[in-house]
Amino acid sequence: MQHFALTIIGRDRPGIVSQVTEILFHDGFNIADSSCSILGGQFSMILIISNPEISKVEEFSDTFKPLEEHNLSVFIRTLKPGGEVRTEMEGELCMISVYGADKPGIVYQVAKELGERHINITDLNTKLIGETGKLVYVMMLEAMLPENTEIEDIETWMQALKQKLQVDISVRSLATMEL
Amino acid sequence: MSVKEVLVYPDSRLKEHCNPIVNFDESVQQLLQNLVDTMVEAGHSVGIAAPQIGDLRRAAVVDVSKSKLGKKQENHGLLQMVNPEITEREGNQVVREGCMSVPDYTGNVTRSESIVVQFVDQNQQFQVVRAEGFEAVAIQHELDHLDGFLFLDRVSSLKTDLFRRKTKKTS
Repeated sequence: MQHFALTIIGRDRPGIVSQVTEILFHDGFNIADSSCSILGGQFSMILIISNPEISKVEEFSDTFKPLEEHNLSVFIRTLKPGGEVRTEMEGELCMISVYGADKPGIVYQVAKELGERHINITDLNTKLIGETGKLVYVMMLEAMLPENTEIEDIETWMQALKQKLQVDISVRSLATMEL
Repeated sequence: MSVKEVLVYPDSRLKEHCNPIVNFDESVQQLLQNLVDTMVEAGHSVGIAAPQIGDLRRAAVVDVSKSKLGKKQENHGLLQMVNPEITEREGNQVVREGCMSVPDYTGNVTRSESIVVQFVDQNQQFQVVRAEGFEAVAIQHELDHLDGFLFLDRVSSLKTDLFRRKTKKTS
C-alpha cells in the first residue's frame, strides 16, 4: 500500500489534532506512525498515513485545503515502497545530554562527531531555557551505538568537545531490559 | 517440561487478574518448569509470568544473572515465585523496558529501586527476598503481569518512549 508522510504546522491552539484527524478519518486514512509536539509557539504534526483507495498525492491533496484556510501549513511527501518501515538497527542505545551557555554550533558539532563515526541518532530534542542574558542551551539526544563502540568511547570523544564548546556533556546507557 | 507459546497482546488473558495458588500440587511444579523453559528458550528474556503462557495463576520466574545488565549487580539467580507479593518498596529508578508480550516496543518505566518480595518457592518454602536494581525491576514487571498490567500501563514520560526495539536474534 502506498504511504505518505504528512506534515502539518501552525500556531498552537486547541483543536488542531481533532481538525486534522477528522479529515483523515472521514477520507479513510490510517495513521501508521505519528509524532506531534509544540515547538516554540507552533504545533507540529508529522504522520505516516495510508489509504487503500489512494496511490497518488494528487488524489487527495485538496482534502487539506480547509486546514490551510485555518492558517496551518500542510506538506505531503510520497514515500517510496517500504519507506514506511524502519530500518533494522542493531546495537546499544545511549543517551547524550549536552547543556551549557548558548552559542552557535552546539548541535552541529555534536552531531558531526557522531555522524562521522556512523552513529545513528534516533531521537533529538533541543530547548533554550532560562532568562535573556543567561540563556542555557539543552540538547537531549538518543543514539544507537554500532557494534564495537562502547559508551566509554563516546565519553572520550565528547571530552574534547566539552572543552571546545565549554558545555557539559554526559553519556549514559539506555540499555533495555527485555522481560 | 516444555516450552510454551508466549501470548502477545491483544490476547485478553494478559489483562486478567490471576488467582492465588491454594494447593501446591504437581501442576504447579509443572507450571514453574514451563515458565523456566520458556524464559530460557526466549534467550534474551530475564523473566516471565504465568499469564504470558496462558495460565491464570499467580506464579512467575525471574533470572537476571545471565543478562548483560543484571549480572553486573548483586542478584539471586533463578527465582521461582508462587503467590509473590511485594511488601516493601524504596526509591525510584527509570528503566527502559521491553516485553515479550508487546513485541517491537520499549518504554521508560519508573519502578522502585529496591523491594522486598515474599513468595513460596519451588520447594514449597516461604521466602523473603530483598532485591535491588535490575532484579527489582524484573520482579516488579513480572508481578504486574499477575494483575493484568503491561509496561504500557506504566510508561512514565511522553516523549520518545515508544519506539521499535532492536532486532531480536531468532534462535
